[in-house]
Amino acid sequence: MEKPFPHPLWPLCLLWLTSAWLPAAEVDFNRDIRPILSDKCFACHGPDERTREAELRLDTYEGATEGGEFAIPIVPGKPDESEVMARIHATDPDDLMPPPESHKKLTAREKDLLKRWIAEGAAYDPPWAYVPPARHPVPEVTVKDWPVNWIDRFLLANLEREKLSPSPDADAVTLVRRLHFDLLGLPPTPRETDAFVQAAENNPQAAVDREVARLLASPHFGERMAIYWLDLVRYADTVGYHGDQDHNISPYRDYVIDAFNANLPFDQFSREQLAGDLLPGSTVGQKVASGYNRLLQTTHEGGAQPKEYLAIYQADRVRNVSAVWMGATVGCAQCHDHKYDPYTAKDFYSLAAFFADIDEDQHFKVGSNTLPTKRPPEMLLLAPEDEAELAALKEELAAAGDKDEKKRLQAKVAAVEKRGRRTMITVAKPPREVRVLPRGNWLDDTGAIVQPAYPHFLAGDDPGSGEPGEGSRLTRLDLANWLTDPVDGTGGLTARVFANRLWALFFGTGIARDLGDFGGQGEAPVHPGLLDNLAVEFHESGWDVKHLVKLMVTSRAYRQSSLAPPEMRERDPHNQLVARQSRFRLPAEMMRDNALAIAGLLVNEHGGKSVKPYQPAGYYRHLNFPPRKYAADTGAGQWRRGVYVHWQRQFLHPMLRAFDAPTREECTAERPRSNTPVAAMVLLNDPTFLEAARVFAERIMREGAAGEGDRLDFAYRHAVSRPPDGDERRIMGELLAFARKDFQARPEAAKALVSTGQAPVPADLDPVEHAAWTTAARAILNLAETFTRN
Amino acid sequence: MTPLDINRRTFLRNSSYSVGSAALAWMLTRDLQAATAGRGVIGGNFHYPPQAKRVIHLCMAGGPSHFETLDEKPELARLGGEPMPESFTKGQQLAQLQGKRNALKCLAPQFEFRESGECGRRMSTAFPEIASIADEIAVINSMHTEQINHDPAHTFMNTGSIIPGRPSMGSWLLYGLGADTDELPGFVVMTSSGGGQDQPIAARQWHSGFLPSKFQGVQFNSKGDPVHYVKSPPGVTRDDQAALLDTINGMNRLLGKRVNDAEIATRISQYEMAFKMQTSVPGLTDVSDEPQHVMDLYGAQPGDGSFASNCLLARRLAERGVRFIQLYHRGWDHHGGVKKGIETVSGHIDRATAALVKDLRDRGMLEDTLIIWGGEFGRTPMAQGSGRDHHIKAFSLWMAGAGIKGGTTYGATDALGYDVAKDPVSVHDLHATMLHQLGIDHERLTYKFQGLDFKLTGVEKARVVKEILA
Repeated sequence: MEKPFPHPLWPLCLLWLTSAWLPAAEVDFNRDIRPILSDKCFACHGPDERTREAELRLDTYEGATEGGEFAIPIVPGKPDESEVMARIHATDPDDLMPPPESHKKLTAREKDLLKRWIAEGAAYDPPWAYVPPARHPVPEVTVKDWPVNWIDRFLLANLEREKLSPSPDADAVTLVRRLHFDLLGLPPTPRETDAFVQAAENNPQAAVDREVARLLASPHFGERMAIYWLDLVRYADTVGYHGDQDHNISPYRDYVIDAFNANLPFDQFSREQLAGDLLPGSTVGQKVASGYNRLLQTTHEGGAQPKEYLAIYQADRVRNVSAVWMGATVGCAQCHDHKYDPYTAKDFYSLAAFFADIDEDQHFKVGSNTLPTKRPPEMLLLAPEDEAELAALKEELAAAGDKDEKKRLQAKVAAVEKRGRRTMITVAKPPREVRVLPRGNWLDDTGAIVQPAYPHFLAGDDPGSGEPGEGSRLTRLDLANWLTDPVDGTGGLTARVFANRLWALFFGTGIARDLGDFGGQGEAPVHPGLLDNLAVEFHESGWDVKHLVKLMVTSRAYRQSSLAPPEMRERDPHNQLVARQSRFRLPAEMMRDNALAIAGLLVNEHGGKSVKPYQPAGYYRHLNFPPRKYAADTGAGQWRRGVYVHWQRQFLHPMLRAFDAPTREECTAERPRSNTPVAAMVLLNDPTFLEAARVFAERIMREGAAGEGDRLDFAYRHAVSRPPDGDERRIMGELLAFARKDFQARPEAAKALVSTGQAPVPADLDPVEHAAWTTAARAILNLAETFTRN
Repeated sequence: MTPLDINRRTFLRNSSYSVGSAALAWMLTRDLQAATAGRGVIGGNFHYPPQAKRVIHLCMAGGPSHFETLDEKPELARLGGEPMPESFTKGQQLAQLQGKRNALKCLAPQFEFRESGECGRRMSTAFPEIASIADEIAVINSMHTEQINHDPAHTFMNTGSIIPGRPSMGSWLLYGLGADTDELPGFVVMTSSGGGQDQPIAARQWHSGFLPSKFQGVQFNSKGDPVHYVKSPPGVTRDDQAALLDTINGMNRLLGKRVNDAEIATRISQYEMAFKMQTSVPGLTDVSDEPQHVMDLYGAQPGDGSFASNCLLARRLAERGVRFIQLYHRGWDHHGGVKKGIETVSGHIDRATAALVKDLRDRGMLEDTLIIWGGEFGRTPMAQGSGRDHHIKAFSLWMAGAGIKGGTTYGATDALGYDVAKDPVSVHDLHATMLHQLGIDHERLTYKFQGLDFKLTGVEKARVVKEILA
């Protein structure tokens, strides 16, 4: 249970709290200046030649110091002689920059920063994200006994510079819940909680180390990580456009879960998804992984023209590959050179050309308004015994002469195949011609033909844009290798992007706050040295994901309490200084998993076809081609984890939507965390949560001994990992008394409430008492503490 | 009163249960910041004097033919059955007619047009009731769009972009202006069908995109529960639910006392709003308090899920402070049999549309309610059998109320209604005009996402269509 602040150390640091976090003495171009120039100037004086005004560009040192048509914009060391300074202070609206009609204004602080930067020599540093990460020396700190590993020393050094202290360690119960939610997406059982609390009493660090090792070995780790990865790559069970028919892809989801569980090195994980089909002797798993290239939204709407959709698909793929691996918003370059980053339209279409070999033709030809729709190429996955049976049957079939015999065998083959699962895979064909589409217009064939090539400014010596010819053409496999090669490719950037995202999963906010944009418009990292070292550690460890996770969650910083005085929250609202841990409501899937686990309903099967929870009748009535009827799963499928829930892009399950799960039309690097009345109604009234409450109630009554006090203990220990205090007992007691009395007068109502869902209704329990405890269980499942990771 | 106040009333007043009495009284000694609800970023600092307080978008989904509704083309009637002059279509994007490029024929407009109202605008006889409000509406005959398939065209109409993940216009309004209700969602969507093949409508059309999800549209269902999970579970009375809510909020207040987290106060107020919605939503959709003459005016039968019922509910939502109300009618995709299709769809929407305008006018609400009527694109002058194909170069729509100059007709197409000939209006112009009427400069309602200042009207210049404003 969380204890109230303040902590003894806080008064000391409060003295130093200020409302704005001012930069240290020296102006840093990437941290302080680039965001100003990018946001306020680059739209007209940046990389995009088409919209450049007065032939002036301020995104390069040369451009800014040589000037355009008029006076020299920036004279290094001499703000007074710099035209930029005159313009930003101009009183005549015709001279003022940024111009009033842009509705962009510089603050006094920004003007001052620009002045100081020019005075200090107007140094231009290359965009931080595109400088390959290198190891920084681990800083020295004054408080020696706080840090556990080097992560802590980076953070503490910064805090000490800011005259701040880290928060005290969280209590053991909070910590064990945090670890279980973060690493498994599930709450700890009371037994696990007790064991951890006991171990932590003697040696907290050893207890954490042991628990982390145990959790990283759990098969639920992969399920938890997959939730995040599937958001990035926009995995869903339906095509997305128009009729939003089902397509076959669930084995890809299982591949992702398995890959995280097996700790497949991240570079290999990337290769298998982008180019599993091109790997020599590619395995079944690698072919399944290549389904990544098929995850995008597709259509076969009547009147849809392949040429238009090929343009839409290639743009979709470029947006996704650049967002997932490069943390870049290359999508902007579909119509014009990027306004803030160095990506050109040619870069965009050259990236698209990597994917020009993906067989798309089949699905345009045979795509149908069926469930699932036909989206070849696909492969059939069978259980090993079915695989053997099928092989035998096919042999028999080949040998069979009799027509009836053939028919009989064909029926058997179909029966075996039906037991399997199909999944979309990538098959390479001779590549299509790819042109730069002027202003993104797919009807315009005047643009230059491009070959696969890496973005020019990242390409180094081998941009791959040489003359087209046999063998010289770069492939998706080359792209995957380049993305994960820290020496000859852009692997350093990839490592940084992923390390930052892992950090956000375990600390609540990225070190660079924008998880989706490492470009000029994104925020520079608050701890660049730490992010660099994490990135280098990641690729030097052989892209060992579990190693990196372990490093983060066994740090002292991770163990901090999430409680903080209001002043601290105001000073550092996004928790970038990491002087505390973060607290947030669980992601949508885990809201479900948590309730089912507490109730004891959760079915822990691994993988398989997607499952369908209860859903309001008629929710799919707007879907057509064909009209859709939703059939909720019966049996075990009803109580499986959220990661396995059917993902209907156009009509995502209302519960998932209410808790901010994305529709997965695009890459989602960070979900919002909303707090709405609709979400409250889901937790109160959705049959999944009602069923969980009434099964939890049954469990409380059976396993929680006879007395009300013991039962409340049992309930609280399962839901919030601690017993209730006196006031909570009193309030829950009042609710129970009220409900008991109410349902005694209405026994039929009691029966109705305890019959929600498909779980067996216990015949031996008094329905009135069961309904009363169901009411109590509903309250407990709705407590903020139950579903807050803190 | 903040959600963590000590002397807080509880939901449950007249029963034996009152958690407020003993247990809660002692524990609430401290206030935490309440979540600000109801106010948008504009916060009363309008860029222009606002004319409209709310918007009702009557989305005629499927692509209404301008030739049979709002744009009279005698020359097309003359050429009916003749080959389409190649000068119009050469090198142009076509949808399903692509394969028949060499045999394109003109399809004559299927209905007479007649002078209507005092303004004398000629309007289709297929929609006599809409013709009867000719003086209330301003018609734009020069709309054009960029997307030729339904799904992306709707997305473009709603979000100003075809890239998924952008906020819809209703979400932008909530973000900018908030809502005037704390018992109902500020952005409500309803759908109906009839008159043509039902093209799907994806929930992304009312999604909040990168804006916080509290701004997303809430779909009201015409059958079953009006809002998902708005009904208490089987066997649970309102008092039961109230006792439960009081307990949850009481416990959360206890937690709020222990930890400093604004989300807890927000959650408490959201549970309160959820409880209010459990009452106010059924009250809204129960139209038994409407007099018969109003039901007759709309042609609505309670609970039939028709466009007419939705129009009546739209008025009730408008009365209750909802900011953006969007009604989809999915009956306008007339690839074949456009004559029959238009007749059918007119039977569904004509009377109710006019009734909504008249009813709002009679209640004095038309002056601050902006009504937009139209689809995601138009249809070809060329025949597709007995119907028309999708067409993006030109289409028509109308607006009414809230400072719109009734009786105006703006823009024009060429002789065959193929291309805009005069005063083109883009979808972004339409958005800019809508925002203008709400008191918002479209250039200044922005949201930072991925480092960029996004706005509903996109990056190209958009223009307020001042010519249709009073």
